[in-house]
Amino acid sequence: MSNRETRGRGAAAPPVEISNAETIRPAPAPTTYRRSWSAAFLRRELLLLIVMVAIVLASVAHHPYFWSSRNIAFILADSMVITFLALGETFVLLSRGVDLSIAPIMGLSACIVGFRAQDHGMTLLPAVFLGAAVGLVLGLGNALLVAVLRLPPIIATLGTLSVYGGLQFVVTGGRQVDHVPTQYTDLGSETLTWGIPTILLIGCAAVLVTALVLRHTMFGRSVYATGNDLEAAYRSGIRTQRVIFVCYLVCGLFAGLAGVIYLMRTGSAVATTGTDTDANLNAIAAALIGGTALTGGRGGAFGAIAGSVFLSLTLTAMVFAGIPAIWQPAGVGAAILVAVLADGKARRRNNTFRLGRVRLRRSS
Amino acid sequence: MTNIALPRRYALPTWGLALVVALVAELVYFSLTTRHFAGHGTGMLVLTEQFVPVGILALGAGMVILTGNIDLSSGATASLSAIVVGTELRHGTGMWGAIGIAVAAGVGFGLFNGFVVAFLGVDSLLVTLATQFIATSLATSIGGESPPYGFSDMFQRIGTGLVGPIPAALLLFLILAAITVVLVSRTGFGRALTLIGYSRSAADYSGIRTRRTLVIAFTLSGLFSGIAGLVLAAYYNSARDDIGTTLLLPAITCVVLGGVDIFGGKGRIAEVVVAVFFLGFLTQGLLISGRSSLTVTMITGILLIVALVVKLSLERQAGESLGGALRRLLSERGFRRPARQR
Repeated sequence: MSNRETRGRGAAAPPVEISNAETIRPAPAPTTYRRSWSAAFLRRELLLLIVMVAIVLASVAHHPYFWSSRNIAFILADSMVITFLALGETFVLLSRGVDLSIAPIMGLSACIVGFRAQDHGMTLLPAVFLGAAVGLVLGLGNALLVAVLRLPPIIATLGTLSVYGGLQFVVTGGRQVDHVPTQYTDLGSETLTWGIPTILLIGCAAVLVTALVLRHTMFGRSVYATGNDLEAAYRSGIRTQRVIFVCYLVCGLFAGLAGVIYLMRTGSAVATTGTDTDANLNAIAAALIGGTALTGGRGGAFGAIAGSVFLSLTLTAMVFAGIPAIWQPAGVGAAILVAVLADGKARRRNNTFRLGRVRLRRSS
Repeated sequence: MTNIALPRRYALPTWGLALVVALVAELVYFSLTTRHFAGHGTGMLVLTEQFVPVGILALGAGMVILTGNIDLSSGATASLSAIVVGTELRHGTGMWGAIGIAVAAGVGFGLFNGFVVAFLGVDSLLVTLATQFIATSLATSIGGESPPYGFSDMFQRIGTGLVGPIPAALLLFLILAAITVVLVSRTGFGRALTLIGYSRSAADYSGIRTRRTLVIAFTLSGLFSGIAGLVLAAYYNSARDDIGTTLLLPAITCVVLGGVDIFGGKGRIAEVVVAVFFLGFLTQGLLISGRSSLTVTMITGILLIVALVVKLSLERQAGESLGGALRRLLSERGFRRPARQR
């Protein structure tokens, strides 16, 4: 938590005996990885699913309309923006970073794409590419600051949050996007494929691809390794800074795509899109509730969609239960607390290890 | 190479000195180029009323960041405090009673943060992210549809009153700053704070009550958020549920600009105070000279990044040249703390 990491630079360690013991870790067997990942998956996602089923059952008992296909489709489709943001954030969180600038990246992408679509009638396919490009460029800024200049991620992205937010004002120049071609909004809410909202299928495809990349590619495994223990990953030959660099790029990419999704869902974009609804914190919250750890190396793509559906579901359930929507943030906060407390205990149990007859607490 | 940066009493801090020079240069520049900025000397002081709440938040945030943690809830807590004091005043509670309740709300949130962070071992970023949501909801629901406005002159004096030529809010900030500086740099509590940030386990093993210290640090942050909320409500003569949330980022910017290491264990509150004035006057000067607030936001962000890059490259290891430090910074793994990323 607050311990200074002294691993890997022997000279940096304070000349105290304890601090050497502190640096000892159990040998990182490659299998531990997968086991802990699936364990986390089982525990967190299953738990979340049970809670969600309970919420749905309670709501249906109150209002039968809750279980209408239209309402369920709305809940799921409505969570797609946050899902995309949370997917990107998952990469960064897994690599033990944090990106606080995704809200203005999403907003900028929505505004730039929106104006092109509104004023020049840009069709969907180029729009997706433009959104992705905007996200990549802005993500590149974060990646340069964090992976090349080595700024602490939280500060670097706090800075770019201001910069990108200002850029968004510049781009809009006081105008707003309010009538994009119906092609966009149709795909956002109306179009069905096999009876399922198309946008939901797009989201699920993105989650699947992300999950495959994270679990079964060299890059994905390097992200987990880097987030788990940067020094160990470096020593086992992973180009850690390059991995972190790509993570921020991917995060920007997803935020840019989220902007296009946002445009499809709402058909509008203004200078404060993204920042005014706390899209940053909601995306991080979704990832955290879905079981991704802020300390890196744990979590995954399914957590991102589970967390964002959870957020969307609770909001709708609250509306159905007659609780004012202003309490939703408090619910989110409570959910985060419960999620990390349940998790924190598990972590603390594993946080001590034996060295001879002495029990020691591990750092970080 | 890495020293525990407990305050060195006899050496002038380079970073602080640079900040003071920058502050003076900025004041001179704005006084010469912008009419109304100096305002016969006292106008400049009145400008401080605008950024005193940020400064008060920065003091609390500075202490928390010194321990290697972070408090994201301070802005929302300030909103809550502003709403609470406003509502209480509208309901006819006496001024001191209302102030007491509002500050108590801030302290309560700080205590909660501190307890969860220190005793349950949850990362402070998570805890304060959660309490930030909760405080926002509370503030919105207490404020209701018509947030309170129109307070007594007596109360407004906290935000806009003058004591001689000095604004009361500035005086309040200076007193709080002085207390914090003494607390952090001259007491055992301050040493414990810094050591926890440097190495939690070292602090544990040297007999420091780390948990208690952490709880106190978060509680003080909550207390300062509460006070900042009061000043905000008094200054604007109204309270909105998002009145304080926008202050969080500037406050953290001030702390980082003031040279406090975001990983804790390094930094001086006095430099944070100078950074508050530097950033505050910069913002006000730019606004007065006709820049839009979005330009100011962008400049703040860029300044934060540039200051950090400069500071990191200035942190040279013993016997290393400036270029060498830069090269180390840019090399694949030369950075001092490779595993600390957040």
